[in-house]
Amino acid sequence: MEKGYLSIVLHSHLPYVRHPEYEDFMEEDWLYEAITETYIPLINVYNGLIRDGVDFRITMTITPSLCSMLADPLLQDRYIKHLDTLIELSNKEVERTRWEPAFNNLALMYQSKFNETRHIFIETYKKNILTAFREFQDMGKLEIITCNATHGFLPLMETCPKSVRAQVEVGANNYEKHFGRRPRGIWLAECGYYPGVDRYLKDAGIKFFFVDTHGILHASPRPKYGVYAPIYCKSGVAAFGRDFDSSKQVWSAIEGYPGDYNYREFYRDVGFDLDFEYIKPYIHKDGIRMNTGIKYYRITGRTDHKEPYNPDWARERAASHAGNFMFNRERQAEYLFDIMKKKPIIVAPYDAELYGHWWYEGPMFLDYLFRKLHYDQKTVRPITPSEYLAQNPTNQVATPSMSSWGYKGYCEHWLDGSNDWIYRHLHKASERMTELADSYPNADGLLRRALNQALRELLLAQSSDWAFIMKTGTVVQYAVKRTKDHILRFTRLYEDIKSNRIDEGWLADIEWKDNIFPEIDYRAHT
Amino acid sequence: MRRKIKQAGKAGAKAPRKKPVKKAVPKRRRVKAAARRAVRKVRRPKAVPELMGTGAVVEAQRHKAEEAKYYPRPSAYMPPRQWEREELPSSYGDTRIVLMTRDSHWIFAYWEITDARRMDIEREAHAGWDGLRKVLRVYDVTDIEFNGTNAHKHFDIDITPEAGNWYIRVGEANRSWCVDLGVITPDGKFIVIARSNVVGTPRDTASDVIDEEWMSIEEDFLKLYGLWGGFAGASPGKAQIRKILKERLEKELSSGAVSSFVRPAKYRGFWMVVNTELVLYGATEPDASVTVQGRPIKLNRDGTFSLRFALPDGEQVIPVKGVSADKEEERTITPIVKKYTK
Repeated sequence: MEKGYLSIVLHSHLPYVRHPEYEDFMEEDWLYEAITETYIPLINVYNGLIRDGVDFRITMTITPSLCSMLADPLLQDRYIKHLDTLIELSNKEVERTRWEPAFNNLALMYQSKFNETRHIFIETYKKNILTAFREFQDMGKLEIITCNATHGFLPLMETCPKSVRAQVEVGANNYEKHFGRRPRGIWLAECGYYPGVDRYLKDAGIKFFFVDTHGILHASPRPKYGVYAPIYCKSGVAAFGRDFDSSKQVWSAIEGYPGDYNYREFYRDVGFDLDFEYIKPYIHKDGIRMNTGIKYYRITGRTDHKEPYNPDWARERAASHAGNFMFNRERQAEYLFDIMKKKPIIVAPYDAELYGHWWYEGPMFLDYLFRKLHYDQKTVRPITPSEYLAQNPTNQVATPSMSSWGYKGYCEHWLDGSNDWIYRHLHKASERMTELADSYPNADGLLRRALNQALRELLLAQSSDWAFIMKTGTVVQYAVKRTKDHILRFTRLYEDIKSNRIDEGWLADIEWKDNIFPEIDYRAHT
Repeated sequence: MRRKIKQAGKAGAKAPRKKPVKKAVPKRRRVKAAARRAVRKVRRPKAVPELMGTGAVVEAQRHKAEEAKYYPRPSAYMPPRQWEREELPSSYGDTRIVLMTRDSHWIFAYWEITDARRMDIEREAHAGWDGLRKVLRVYDVTDIEFNGTNAHKHFDIDITPEAGNWYIRVGEANRSWCVDLGVITPDGKFIVIARSNVVGTPRDTASDVIDEEWMSIEEDFLKLYGLWGGFAGASPGKAQIRKILKERLEKELSSGAVSSFVRPAKYRGFWMVVNTELVLYGATEPDASVTVQGRPIKLNRDGTFSLRFALPDGEQVIPVKGVSADKEEERTITPIVKKYTK
């Protein structure tokens, strides 16, 4: 009999980036890289476990904005184009590295992986990999949870309750469209919770969500079992808390597994390393060097000098890290069981893109972990939150503390000198959206289209990613531009609707550009 | 307690302080100037940064070329002229102050005052706008229905005339706050311009409220709490817990650290890499077949070919063999390349 449960949660999210008005748009690569390096490798891991009869449980968010991109025909076709270019580069690389066996083997590895990826994407899943995840869910191995529609950071939206409702409702509806049933769980963007958010979750039929460790530890009344059992909010929605130890082992820059010297070095990519004339067709059209995904080195050490990557050594390390992770969870479960006199649930959430994109061996680590959990021990059992709640329906009632899993645990990353200027515009737009939705409760025809588009623009502006990027300082201009574009488009729609002169040509143009959530109903904002 | 709060108030001055540009003008002209300003605002909305402070400065410096990149290439649709504006409005014609929570000890306020409201205040205060002290009066309204006079306590923060937002260090977790934006007249009267919404600062330690049905031994709870700080096996004291908390929240275990759109910057000191490649090129009859080191290669339409190899140290013998289409003729040329690095 087991002593506790382990719930691995992967949060996959990308902001909605889709620019039909350009032939080539650098930021769209975020999606293409994630498909090649994370989503398809995870699909391969799950398929392998199922084929080999390994019983496993994993929970994944696929955010509504990511779902919408994965289901979008334009982006699907562009991904194939992207992949074809990559295959062409890998073919050249196989030739170019002929006299250097260590690199030649790697070039061959990439060549075969990219071709395999192409086959899986086109032949197996007919360009829509959501099908794969849906199948895993239907088999009971994977629990897919939703997220608020555009990953808006809810604690900074507290003064706009209708927008909070719309974020949750639109997200849940999008989930239903893609996965054929209502979502049971939700990942609140950046784990951003404030007391009261749970009411909107309940209204959307959602049963559970996640908060960071201190969200539970600082709940009131004091939660008897800490983060090792969920608590029910007064609304009846359950909150699961993040376990710190299991997070640290993977996340930590110093102590974490991904820093092992045998793992692949993220920062040495042929997009940066190779001769400009040669690599030019495979980087940005304006000649800006960027990652291609072909990387030949291992981390090697705290040094500039990098040695070629050795896939066999890396595989060995991934297996031994999986063993170490499992061992630690077993001891942890025993220790907790001793204190709690009941089975703890250890919740270990990560950004999905950590696995594969950043930590190249991450999917392999998960593969080994689930195999070991299945064959080598009986102390911890993988579980999904839904299963846990079905088996443990009685839990303490308490109100989690406002919190996030961002830097310093609250709102600082999204409310800072670099991005605080956006909120007056976001709040005003939300107020105006409420006014519109209240004024036109039963719109149809052109007016309805304009109202639906207004809500799309508002939701896109609310995406927490823009504030996040402004603070992080990576592609700030793009984030500023996106925020302004959506607010301006919203504002024009608002004014056009109010003055009863909707410009259909312009509306069609922005419907074509910002086509997220085709199924949207503006009345979600009431 | 009271002294502590005052200190907190002082520390709260974090918003960018700009030097007020003041000119001694008679009151009548000032009003006119204000009216002119208002008109100008409506016609030509200012760039966001001027109002919002540090955040959007970047945007003001945006390069034209960059800008062009994000704009659609000419399409069938041309937007009407009046909508060619690309800046957000600097104001929305409201008088309001909005509070947001940043963390357990800080809140944030932004506000906007209409010119009409400004003039009302001047009339009420019998003084010109520039001569009035602008303050944020921060009230502790924990667990009460605030009516303007029943706060547990309050403190004032002097704000600069141009400020449109402020970070306020309230310094106390698990309390509720409300802020009046107002002026203090020369004779000491406080006039409210706008009152904010109420926000709470989240708890920064475990709750003292215990549910009898879910009681546990204090030591056991502290053990569970201590795990957060890596204190497995021991139950830390309360003082330690505060320390853990601070350390844990500042650890880089937060989200987004690895997503492709926020790739962490990597520090590298001085470095240098040198590599060599060899370009091997040639031409033959377009329908001939050619092998390089025994491997067939594809010719360009005109019979030319070009290959590129990473060139390691050592000697490379590269036989290039061409065979005519009718297999009647054959030629082999063998370059030998030696490379060494010192």
